[in-house]
Amino acid sequence: MDGMTQMKDMALNDREPKWQIGRRLFKAGSAYSVLALFVFVAVGPIIYIISPAFRDSKSLFSYPPQWIPNRWFTGNFTFLFSETHYLRWAANTIIFATSVTLISLVIDTLAGYAFARMTFPGKRVLFSLVLATLMIPMAAILAPTYLLVRFLDGWTFGLIGTDTYGGLILPMTVSPLGVFMMRQFIETIPAGLYEAARMDGASEWRIFRKIVLPLIKPALVVLGIFVFMMQWANFLWPLVVTSKDEFRVLNVGISTLQGQFVTNWGVIAAATLLTLIPVTIVFLFFQRWFVQASIAGALKE
Amino acid sequence: MIQSMVADDNVLDLSMTEKEFRRQKRRYRARRLIPVFGFLGPYFLLWVVFLAVPVIWSVWLSFNNGGIVEPARFVGVTNWSRAFQDDELRKSLINTAYYVVVAIIVVFGLAISLALLLQRYRRWSNFFKLGLYIPVLVSPIMAGMIFFFLTHYDMGVLNLILQQLGQDRMNFLGDNPNALLTISALEIWRGLGFWVLFFLAGLENVPQDLLDAARVDGAKPFRRFRKVTVPVMRPLILFALVIALIFNFQLFDSVQVLTKGGPVLGTSTVVWFIYRRMFAFQDSGLAYATSVGLLILVLCLTIVAYGVLGKKMGKK
Repeated sequence: MDGMTQMKDMALNDREPKWQIGRRLFKAGSAYSVLALFVFVAVGPIIYIISPAFRDSKSLFSYPPQWIPNRWFTGNFTFLFSETHYLRWAANTIIFATSVTLISLVIDTLAGYAFARMTFPGKRVLFSLVLATLMIPMAAILAPTYLLVRFLDGWTFGLIGTDTYGGLILPMTVSPLGVFMMRQFIETIPAGLYEAARMDGASEWRIFRKIVLPLIKPALVVLGIFVFMMQWANFLWPLVVTSKDEFRVLNVGISTLQGQFVTNWGVIAAATLLTLIPVTIVFLFFQRWFVQASIAGALKE
Repeated sequence: MIQSMVADDNVLDLSMTEKEFRRQKRRYRARRLIPVFGFLGPYFLLWVVFLAVPVIWSVWLSFNNGGIVEPARFVGVTNWSRAFQDDELRKSLINTAYYVVVAIIVVFGLAISLALLLQRYRRWSNFFKLGLYIPVLVSPIMAGMIFFFLTHYDMGVLNLILQQLGQDRMNFLGDNPNALLTISALEIWRGLGFWVLFFLAGLENVPQDLLDAARVDGAKPFRRFRKVTVPVMRPLILFALVIALIFNFQLFDSVQVLTKGGPVLGTSTVVWFIYRRMFAFQDSGLAYATSVGLLILVLCLTIVAYGVLGKKMGKK
């Protein structure tokens, strides 16, 4: 559509004097420069972190600044692997984010299906309750959730508790947004598709598995990426519920490096770089999905 | 198994009495509920345990003190009366409000402008969109680390650049209100890309025929923006405002990583206050009361969001 109007513009401007064409070019040039400037500000800091990661602590403070290290120093990385639990943290982060994602996908899809397609008394009330809790931040229920997990420690044979994977993972799996998204999506499936199956006496589970599940694959991918990203970035809950270094996730682990190695900032830069790389690579693969996932979360409501 | 039971019920025995028919009907309905439990059960079990129980418990906790180290004890409304007089909490509230206002004004202003530019100038737009979006993927902690290397007094690259330009170094994190502004800058850097794409999606939904009609009537670009685009986008912007308010109010991660609330509480925010008061002292009562305050605020904002949303749907 916009292309059309631009073409109309050009047709009108065939007769425009040269100075006006110049002005147009100047405007376009400055528009693209502004955009390029913002992209530079957005990406520049991330690229800069490469430099301190490969410099020893002395050269970090050198003046004039070294943009490109004179000597590519890899000691920060060897220190990170030998003296800290970096690999354990990375494994924890992957276990944590993946488990939350998988559990959320299962329970959200099941509940979303029930809210979209089943009739039962109290459905509206239950759904309103879920919606009311949509925005509740973890910070607001941090204390009772922490106390609850600590209380459950003695009752679940160590499955749920502080410094356990259960305690880390399970409280994060409850997301009203996921149920809401899945319900919205399942409702868009034409009713005719499974009314026929229902007539033939197929059970709800069969309808769900054979008809609904194959159709909502795109929604599962979007929700899955969304949940994974949220948990990858999660900091507050892992910080509170873990105290042993072996149960830390990357975000918490790296933030504890700050206090320990005051004189060795390069190690922190190395850890940051190492943590950013995989996410960025995955992002470049799934670029379209990511953008869709995050916008969908906000726009779909 | 469920399937066969339902099928049995479908066979109507015409000889049964009214009473028996009712009983059958009740039983049939009860059986139809079994799959509902199967589908909703797993979610609601977790929802009740990890969302409903903590919400109710948090209200009860706000009338208690302690609980983290030693058992909680009932103290009545003491926490609440203290909350209204606590200087640290007031400071945290003011800081949070200051941050929220700065971040939202800057982010929304920039995001809408950039979205308009991207809509008008479409060359290389995928590259620009991708570039602007990359910081959104950086977790707050990693962003904090990156900003640490940018703004550190001795080795921060921004200070080194300032020095090369012959200026004095800036104490980005060690002075007020610099520290809070640095944290605002971090969150603006991290959030901008998301809101650009959000508003761009909104702009694409402005009906082109309305804009064309205005153009034919001789309206200049700025007038078209003010008279057509803004009214159409208003509900979306309002909704975005409420969401941004809720999320920005929870500022914590970058504070914990960059300043730990300092210097002199200059960057203490509401959530940071809750976290610190919960664990740093044995006096957790204020944290509990503040949590409930935060809960109430978020619930009110949620209602506002649904109100805005309802209006948007009504207009359509």
